[in-house]
Amino acid sequence: MHLVIQALILGSLTGGVYALMASGQTLIFGIMKVINLAQGAFVIVASYLTFSLFQMTGLDPFLLIVITTPIMFILGVATQWFLLKPLRPDDAAELSLLVTFAVALGLEGALSLFYKTTLRSIMPGYENHSWTVWGYQVNEVRFYAFLLSIAMLGILYLLLQKTKFGRSVRATVQNPMSAQLLGVNSKAVSAFGFGLGVSTTAAAGAVFGLITPFNPGSHYDLISRLLTIVVLGGMGAIGGSVIAALMMGVGAALVSALASPIWSDFTFFIVLLLVLLIRPRGLFGAKVRGAL
Amino acid sequence: MTRINEPLLQLKDVTAGYGAGLVLKGVNLDVMPGQIICLIGPNGAGKSTVLKTISGLLGIKGGEVIFKGHEISTLSSKQRLGLGIVHVPQDRSLFPAMTVWENILMGAFILKDQKLINERIEQAAELFPIIIARKNAAAGSLSGGEQKQVEVARSLMLDPALILLDEPSIGLDPKSRKLVFESISLLSKAGRTILLVEQNARSGLAVSDRGAVLEAGRVALVGTGAGLLEDPEVSRLYLGASSK
Ligand SMILES: Nc1ncnc2c1ncn2[C@@H]1O[C@H](COP(=O)(O)OP(=O)(O)OP(=O)(O)O)[C@@H](O)[C@H]1O
Ligand SMILES: [Mg+2]
Repeated sequence: MHLVIQALILGSLTGGVYALMASGQTLIFGIMKVINLAQGAFVIVASYLTFSLFQMTGLDPFLLIVITTPIMFILGVATQWFLLKPLRPDDAAELSLLVTFAVALGLEGALSLFYKTTLRSIMPGYENHSWTVWGYQVNEVRFYAFLLSIAMLGILYLLLQKTKFGRSVRATVQNPMSAQLLGVNSKAVSAFGFGLGVSTTAAAGAVFGLITPFNPGSHYDLISRLLTIVVLGGMGAIGGSVIAALMMGVGAALVSALASPIWSDFTFFIVLLLVLLIRPRGLFGAKVRGAL
Repeated sequence: MTRINEPLLQLKDVTAGYGAGLVLKGVNLDVMPGQIICLIGPNGAGKSTVLKTISGLLGIKGGEVIFKGHEISTLSSKQRLGLGIVHVPQDRSLFPAMTVWENILMGAFILKDQKLINERIEQAAELFPIIIARKNAAAGSLSGGEQKQVEVARSLMLDPALILLDEPSIGLDPKSRKLVFESISLLSKAGRTILLVEQNARSGLAVSDRGAVLEAGRVALVGTGAGLLEDPEVSRLYLGASSK
């Protein structure tokens, strides 16, 4: 029992971080129907950015997010504007898959040139601290990471629900032609939305670099997990992807604790297959077009 | 300046299409200010396409689109929106997961003046109380007729000079359909200028001042709404079918 509860704690904390990455991916899918295969690579870019900035400045990695978020936002907007927007609307859906995969490979290549393939970790000195609460271990970094993810998700939620820009984003997701007829600039919404989705990787990358050693190839691992979460959550539903991320985090931690860490990675693939075969619209897939 | 007997909108020999071929093969049509004109015609005649060339969703290949005396066919759809041309498309155009209120606010998306927006909402609510009564309901949860009412109310947010209404009664049950035509009569009494496309020719012509028949990409016949209702040819082709 102790083992199970310990796994629950660890799993929820990790799941929170995945929730943040996945919500960005879901936002992008919702707005543009683009499955962004580069989301994992953007996370790793953000991890390296945080790593280098931390080495240069010595500032706390959590603080560095203030700098990395706008950088990742711009990187996202640029990717959309120069690589995705020029695609012909007719075959944009299929081609965007290839383009984002190419972006992922490109980023991986560039990172390998600069940083080689050595595994790195961001080590602010407190990365291994943990608290003991009623006999359970709560890792400090993971706990802060969890809080940060919740806060970022909250900001994302407020931005989408309470601002005029957010309203135009949701309108574009739900009915693009109608949004355009009302004067929404769908090109700007797509670019900003993509940027926003990618900007969530800044915080996620910092946190990922704190809790896991990474190298340029780590994005393969990440993207396969993200895809599972996004599919499980019902493509396009942000709330769904958050719940799916928590479920997968807990599930993987449980399998790892009760069976073996080797099987924990495998859970993602099994879940992905099962969802695709049994319930392709995911747990929370929208019955109404566009649930964002 | 537009004088009262000058058309608000004029289509002159407009040709347009989606690929290589032409759907509109020289459309001529006048829309007079303060009037409702109903465009009828068989499926695929190009009725929706006519509206798209006016709102700018589709560019034209030849001819002229003249609004208040100015050629507007090179303007973007957003610029035409700014001139007061509002298009309520044939398919459901509400944002289903957003509330009725948010949908109405989206109708005022290009406006900045919050006071003006509130005034417009109040005015629209006088004609369509549903936008207040069902304010917080998800738009997708309303009945088809209620949704159309919200769509039409939303189109009033810009105080439009011209409303393009594409088959507002399509796919609705008789009760909702009645609601929609009542709404159109209300707009007419409020002095709005409307270009209405309707499959349901009898009800459409009945609420309209004038009517036009589009056939194979050309306007084949124009007349008063009442006149077309009595025309034996129109009656045989369009009214018989719609009263089935
Ligand atoms: N987006 C499009 N791409 C290609 N062809 C189109 C498109 N929209 C319409 N068409 C074609 O243009 C022609 C006219 O279509 P349009 O929608 O204007 O007809 P309509 O008179 O409104 O018909 P309905 O009464 O069925 O709404 C049709 O042959 C249709 O197949
Ligand atoms: Mg049509």
